Amino acid sequence: MKSRAMVGSAVAYVVSLLLVVFIGFPLLWMLVSSFKPAEQLFVSPPRLLPSTLTLDWYRNVMLQSDAPTYFRNSLVIGAATTAICLSIGTLAAYGVTRFEFPGKRVFLIGALLSYVFPAIVLFVPIYMIINSLGLIDALAGVVIAHTILTFPFALWMLRSFFIAIPREIDEAAWVDGASYFLTFVAIILPLALPGVFSVGVFVFVLSWNEYLFAGVLITSGSLKTIPIGISEFITSFDVRWGEIMAMGALATMPVIALFLSVQRFFLRGVIAGAIKG
Amino acid sequence: MRFSRQALAGVFFSSPAIVFLVVFVVYPVLDAVRLSLLVVDFATDQTNFVGMANFAQMLRDPKLVPVATNTLVWTVASLIGQFGLGLGAALCISRDVPGMRLIRTILLLPYVVPVIAIALFWRWLLDGSYGLVSYLLQAAALLPANQSPLAIPDAAMASVILANIWRGFPFVMISYWAALQGIPQEQYEAAQVDGAGIWQEFWYVTLPNLLEITKVMLILRLIWTVTFFDIVWLITRGGPAGATEHWPIWIYQESMGFFRFGYGAALALALAILLMVVSSLYFALASRSSER
Repeated sequence: MKSRAMVGSAVAYVVSLLLVVFIGFPLLWMLVSSFKPAEQLFVSPPRLLPSTLTLDWYRNVMLQSDAPTYFRNSLVIGAATTAICLSIGTLAAYGVTRFEFPGKRVFLIGALLSYVFPAIVLFVPIYMIINSLGLIDALAGVVIAHTILTFPFALWMLRSFFIAIPREIDEAAWVDGASYFLTFVAIILPLALPGVFSVGVFVFVLSWNEYLFAGVLITSGSLKTIPIGISEFITSFDVRWGEIMAMGALATMPVIALFLSVQRFFLRGVIAGAIKG
Repeated sequence: MRFSRQALAGVFFSSPAIVFLVVFVVYPVLDAVRLSLLVVDFATDQTNFVGMANFAQMLRDPKLVPVATNTLVWTVASLIGQFGLGLGAALCISRDVPGMRLIRTILLLPYVVPVIAIALFWRWLLDGSYGLVSYLLQAAALLPANQSPLAIPDAAMASVILANIWRGFPFVMISYWAALQGIPQEQYEAAQVDGAGIWQEFWYVTLPNLLEITKVMLILRLIWTVTFFDIVWLITRGGPAGATEHWPIWIYQESMGFFRFGYGAALALALAILLMVVSSLYFALASRSSER
């Protein structure tokens, strides 16, 4: 019996290490390539490890391209989307986990359906709405689109965190004369904060990574986000791989850092069945 | 009808979310139906009601068969890869051995890496002149010198599917991992007392316990894979010569490439209806099989 478990563990190690290579290699290759000088980047056969390192690509990206502007735009859009999602999301999560009201079931099922609904299907009508609001080529238009994409998911995940807080806490506060709103702001919200924070991180990451709407809603160079900026590096006729790899690494590192900071809650969210892929 | 204070409070807290969903989700869904019945003249901004003409045009469109075939190949192959790899990985990372927490974290990374980054390192690995994977394939004489797999129709499709498996299997893995945590240890002990081997344990204890999560996840992954636009668009733009053009790219090209908004909306609606029919049938079958 003991030996069977050992064989199992050995197999698990070998297979999962192979998977780590499968996952890690492209990421590391991107990182290594971004530090390779041109004469080692553009050689055939490709070299695994560079003999010298260079910061040229990063310097080009940060000083001679519009990348800093793209980063700022992505940051602004991500922060605004997160703020909107969390404020209307925590209010609603409190409302649906604390109170019974007519239409609550319809609202929850509607939110669940829109969580499943794919963006590309609503692509044209959403474009039309934002057009009629006069928000084409404005950061606010992208914020609205990103809120549409992330809000249903945020609501479901927030709801799972609010359900976990016992209702007796609210009832004790109400008995003591606290208003519903005060109870929400001063007592329940602080208790839900770790969960709210992790939902916020995921909304931010989804917004930071989003390509489709950020691409079609923005036309001016000064309002583009990082994914759009990078994709334009690729399609220009001479493909500047050094700069592209540096920008890819710069775009990826913040989201990996954020993810590592909340992965504990992420796993809890998965178990609650509220993660969008 | 009188509402209690509690009901009013519930409505009050939920109202910003309800308003948002009605304006930005319910309305677009209804508008999608309206748009699909129109032809929008972009030059004059005039719209003409054409009834079902957009759908009739779709059925006559020479792109229909190749795009539908590509969508099917893309979806089925991606799902097989993601579920196979996801289940295998879940069985590994659920073993409680030292270092597994770190491995689990690394295997989750594709979930947060921006699709644009995935697309670009994939294109870099497959670059005809300097890409590592292209070089290895060229060295093995599987590929002509200085050519990228992305220039060959079947190889391009295989490449985007592989990239999608890379990105999508962690989601399946972590969902299966969560389900595996919930299997009572007693079931395994009972099986061992009965003399079950590793395969019998897997077949009679593990798999039945994963059935429910598989049912839900399969339909979610199906919907999200069929409609996943970014990764294909960013790696191949649907090329070479339409070899990787699947339904979402078709929608995008018609609406943003040719500004045929009505036709684009009709293509999107047709896909949504098809997915709804498939999911309803699927859930009807799934609930019947679990009753038995």
